[in-house]
Amino acid sequence: MDWSPIWLTLRLAAITTAILLVIGLPVAYWLSKGRSIFKIVIEAIITMPLVLPPSVLGFYLLIAFSPQHGLGLWLQQHFNIQFVFSFQGLVLASVIYSMPFMIGPIKSALQQLPISLSQASYTLGKTELQTFIKVLLPNMRASLLTAIVLTFAHTLGEFGVVLMIGGNIPNVTRVASIAIYDSVENMDYATANSYSLLLFAITFVIVIAVFVFNKRAAKSPLE
Amino acid sequence: MKFKKLILTSLLLFFAGIIAHAQTLQVAVAANLQSVIKVLEADFKKKTGIEIQPIIGSSGNLVNQIKNGAPFDVFLSADISFPEALYKAGFSMDEPVVYTWGNLIVCSEQKIDLKNWPNLLQKGKVKKIAIANPAIAPYGKAAEEALIKTGIMNSVKPKLVYGESIAQVNTYISTGVVTVGFTSQSFIKDADPNTKLYWAPVDASLYTAIQQGMVILKHGKENNFDQAQKFYKYILSPSAKAIFTEYGYHVQ
Repeated sequence: MDWSPIWLTLRLAAITTAILLVIGLPVAYWLSKGRSIFKIVIEAIITMPLVLPPSVLGFYLLIAFSPQHGLGLWLQQHFNIQFVFSFQGLVLASVIYSMPFMIGPIKSALQQLPISLSQASYTLGKTELQTFIKVLLPNMRASLLTAIVLTFAHTLGEFGVVLMIGGNIPNVTRVASIAIYDSVENMDYATANSYSLLLFAITFVIVIAVFVFNKRAAKSPLE
Repeated sequence: MKFKKLILTSLLLFFAGIIAHAQTLQVAVAANLQSVIKVLEADFKKKTGIEIQPIIGSSGNLVNQIKNGAPFDVFLSADISFPEALYKAGFSMDEPVVYTWGNLIVCSEQKIDLKNWPNLLQKGKVKKIAIANPAIAPYGKAAEEALIKTGIMNSVKPKLVYGESIAQVNTYISTGVVTVGFTSQSFIKDADPNTKLYWAPVDASLYTAIQQGMVILKHGKENNFDQAQKFYKYILSPSAKAIFTEYGYHVQ
């Protein structure tokens, strides 16, 4: 069995999760504070990939990143970056596609923390950043883990977008879901089965881990 | 009362749907035919009054669906080996017949001279090259053969991008995400008149002739034989041949 699609998928999921963690924490914090029309619109846009068909995203990314015009041409000329048919392109697409899975759980966890926590911290002279890192984050470990794991798992399962902008290049864009599709089309059911079983197992372990961890964390008095 | 009416109407619609379904012929169509099939469909309907429902995909993909029980009546493949495999596996009663020969071209949306394409493809200005997946799309297989025969396969391999059918390759060419792509000549005829395409034929000596084969499937024989047979005869008729020729195929 060729392992490269599996490694590629794991790498894509890990990089996407890392990027989304960096973006997700401040954005979720900002969204959790107060409400305005602007915030609602931004939150809606972030949440949309949950319900939008991946082909919509794939189609627009294909058009946007065509090196013939507009953004794609500009990126090509100034930075020599091509997003279609490249690993960077898949990372970018996955970041957009998996964003609600990172931001959603963190945001609702922040909103559920008792306000007295941060107020006590401010009274003791801590800044907003210190409070966020030292007080709020440690108190929502379970939700943070859920967000990380869900983002990772959701990126593993990405298919539609990759099918449209990936180009099925071995070692570059042929992720596991595409390799499965490919071997089914080829009537190579044995290969399809090995990849599928592996993904099945990985996903199962991940989801079980989330359940176990959440159950233990739920015993904490703050939940 | 209202509720009863609703149920009755939906039942009626349901059965109407079944009857309507029985009257249209389900034809599995290789993706290279996606444009010409519309013309054939209209012409066939004018001549016989029979409507067809084309299902378009790469030949390998369609064969896979047929083997797994897809209710298709006739199969128009992009090669001869896929329908032959169906015949051998008992999904068709008769051996396939060749209805047309396809032409492979190299095509671009950018203004470049493709006449000496084996040389050009190795140059830096050609960033990405699209071919259809050789394992499931006969035009992709032909393209792969041509790249190997011209001896440039190794140097262009990093630029190759694989479409899941020739239709996806066409999308890649017309949106300009690839510099060039290998596709069927029929693409030129159907492409959006606003996109100017530049193309050159791939010399026929560089790839095994693309013999496109057709079979009536078991499902068609059992459920729609009369119409399936009419369609089969029509595809081999002079009027269908004229349409194929117009779209850049050759017929005998």
